[in-house]
Amino acid sequence: MTGHQTLGPAAATALGQLNERLAAKPAAHLQVSGLSIHYSTLRGPFNAVDNVSFEVAAGTNLGLVGESGCGKSTVVKALMGLLPEMTRVTGQALLDGQNILGLSDADLQDVRWNRISLITQSAMNSLDPVYCIGDQICEAILAHEPVGKTVAWARAEQMFALVGLPAERLREFPHQFSGGMRQRAVIAMALALNAGMLLADEPTTALDPIMQSQIMSRIRGIHDHMRRSMILVTHDIAVVAETCETVVVMYAGKVAESGPTQDVLDRPLHPYTMGLQNAFPRLPVRGQPRKPLISIPGTVPNLLLPPAGCRFAGRCPFATNLCRSVAPPTYQIGAQSAACHYVERASQFRVAAAEPDTWRSMEPSR
Amino acid sequence: MRAYILRRLAQSVLVVWAVTTIMFFMFRVMPADPTAILLERGLSDEARLALMEEWGLTGSLWDQYVAYLGNIAQGDFGNSFFYRKPVWDVLFPLIVNTLWIAIPGLLMGAALGAAIGTAVGWAPRGGKLERSGIFLATVIRGVPNFVIGIALLTVFSSTLGWFPGFGMGDPGATTGFARYFTLDFLHHLALPLIAVTIYFLPENLLLMRSGVVENRTEDYIELVRAKGVPQRRVAWHAARNSMLPLITWLFPALAETIAGIVVIEIVFSWPGVGRELVLAVTRQDYPLAQAAFFLLAVMIVLANLAADLAYGKLDPRVVYK
Repeated sequence: MTGHQTLGPAAATALGQLNERLAAKPAAHLQVSGLSIHYSTLRGPFNAVDNVSFEVAAGTNLGLVGESGCGKSTVVKALMGLLPEMTRVTGQALLDGQNILGLSDADLQDVRWNRISLITQSAMNSLDPVYCIGDQICEAILAHEPVGKTVAWARAEQMFALVGLPAERLREFPHQFSGGMRQRAVIAMALALNAGMLLADEPTTALDPIMQSQIMSRIRGIHDHMRRSMILVTHDIAVVAETCETVVVMYAGKVAESGPTQDVLDRPLHPYTMGLQNAFPRLPVRGQPRKPLISIPGTVPNLLLPPAGCRFAGRCPFATNLCRSVAPPTYQIGAQSAACHYVERASQFRVAAAEPDTWRSMEPSR
Repeated sequence: MRAYILRRLAQSVLVVWAVTTIMFFMFRVMPADPTAILLERGLSDEARLALMEEWGLTGSLWDQYVAYLGNIAQGDFGNSFFYRKPVWDVLFPLIVNTLWIAIPGLLMGAALGAAIGTAVGWAPRGGKLERSGIFLATVIRGVPNFVIGIALLTVFSSTLGWFPGFGMGDPGATTGFARYFTLDFLHHLALPLIAVTIYFLPENLLLMRSGVVENRTEDYIELVRAKGVPQRRVAWHAARNSMLPLITWLFPALAETIAGIVVIEIVFSWPGVGRELVLAVTRQDYPLAQAAFFLLAVMIVLANLAADLAYGKLDPRVVYK
């Protein structure tokens, strides 16, 4: 973290002050309630996210899981104000008490990166190809802090060191970086202003498994070190188990289940969570047969014509006529909550859901 | 890098040679007699032959061609049939005159076009600014450029009387090189310069707009927005990435201008090289026309090379091999 031989005494002081100022930022608290997002399309409104609520306590991680197309990234983009202009966003997102939904670009200028920063989904394309990485990191620092380019660059060097990239590569361009290096550069950029809230939108999706695990342990290490709040969007339940205190499982734009990660993964209440768990490989336990991977048959329903009842009913092996006609309310059990009519039968479901045949029997009826 | 430039220069020589050859034979297969314009009808055949001899138009076509190539290899493009002096003496001042309207006109057209194009491309899709910007660009592009010239003349010269209507200077004004630094010259320069600027504006505007429209939805723009920089800065990222095709187009356009603004030169009676080129062809003034085309070929080839080199500066992904 040290070793700026080229930095003059004045710049070194300025850097020290900048670092102190940034380190003093507290972790942010985020309270999202009733968040709904509609796109208007030629065939009517598209309900991408419907009445989503969750809370991220200061200094904790929240995992947002679900399969592709269920609205996870849309939630993140809404929090950053990055959705297209024609999108209708309702509800509230209180960042340390201030609602950040519906702010104009000008008002968001102070919020973005200063208070919430973003680790993007596709680091491959999320860096500007014609600027060197260092300039792109400095751009973020200079936009928010009253420092000169030299100091900003020195800060960028420190961030590069933090993610394990050599400082001289700041002068290189995105196309000279490998996928893993680009992802690390994007993480360095996200950390540059030590924002109180970090949104990590599938930070490892585009990487190979070895790189995925390296990047995730890097993120966890940094998190332990800096104590920021974070929303981690992923479809990998194992990553959530390792990283997040709380988890929100989304399905087709709605929250299916949420609660402390341990509880949700040990005793899932919603059949969709059970299905998700089945679909991820687990370490084999000695003396027991290896658990088969079971996929959930079918696909996410078309949200232009959302089904009348529970949105998961069409793919749920336990669905009844009630499920298909009435949308379930959210039931609270302990610290956990789930939107399922039959939460009280969850323990029965868990046993049945572990059997591949339960899910296989669904397939013809699709 | 050096190997690349050398190879490109070698290719350029080849291209220029090919153009020169085609030009040479094209003029000679035209069924016309270049001596007709200078000789009075009824002059003796001997006099005509003597003139042909002097101009190097006797002997087989092949011999003429070899002699011509040999001469231009030594930098000798011959004498103009019409003006009866070396072609460079005729061409050089005209080229300078043309460059006076071509280069600033092109640069202003590119700069203005790029700026407006960025604004139009960044504006909400289907909004007023976008629609009127595209409409304006398409209209200007569709209008023949002599119409633009005549319109400018009608409004600012005939009606308002703000600017002179033709030529490069009032009678009795300073001549020679010093004239380029007189107010009188700038006064005459204004209208043709505006005409050239307007002529180049729409192409740049549309090119830039489509680039910005394409780039504004890229992932990196989303990240720039997320960084909380002013919107102008976000638009700049899109513009900066859209400049690359503009540069590729700009340099060759500069060379093509020399020929392309003929009409503007004629409308404003601007004594430029384009106007002279047309006259030279109609007068069968082979040496002058060939030299002018040779020059254009060299300029276009060099401009393309310059564009490729500038591209490498603007786009770090470009590598010269």
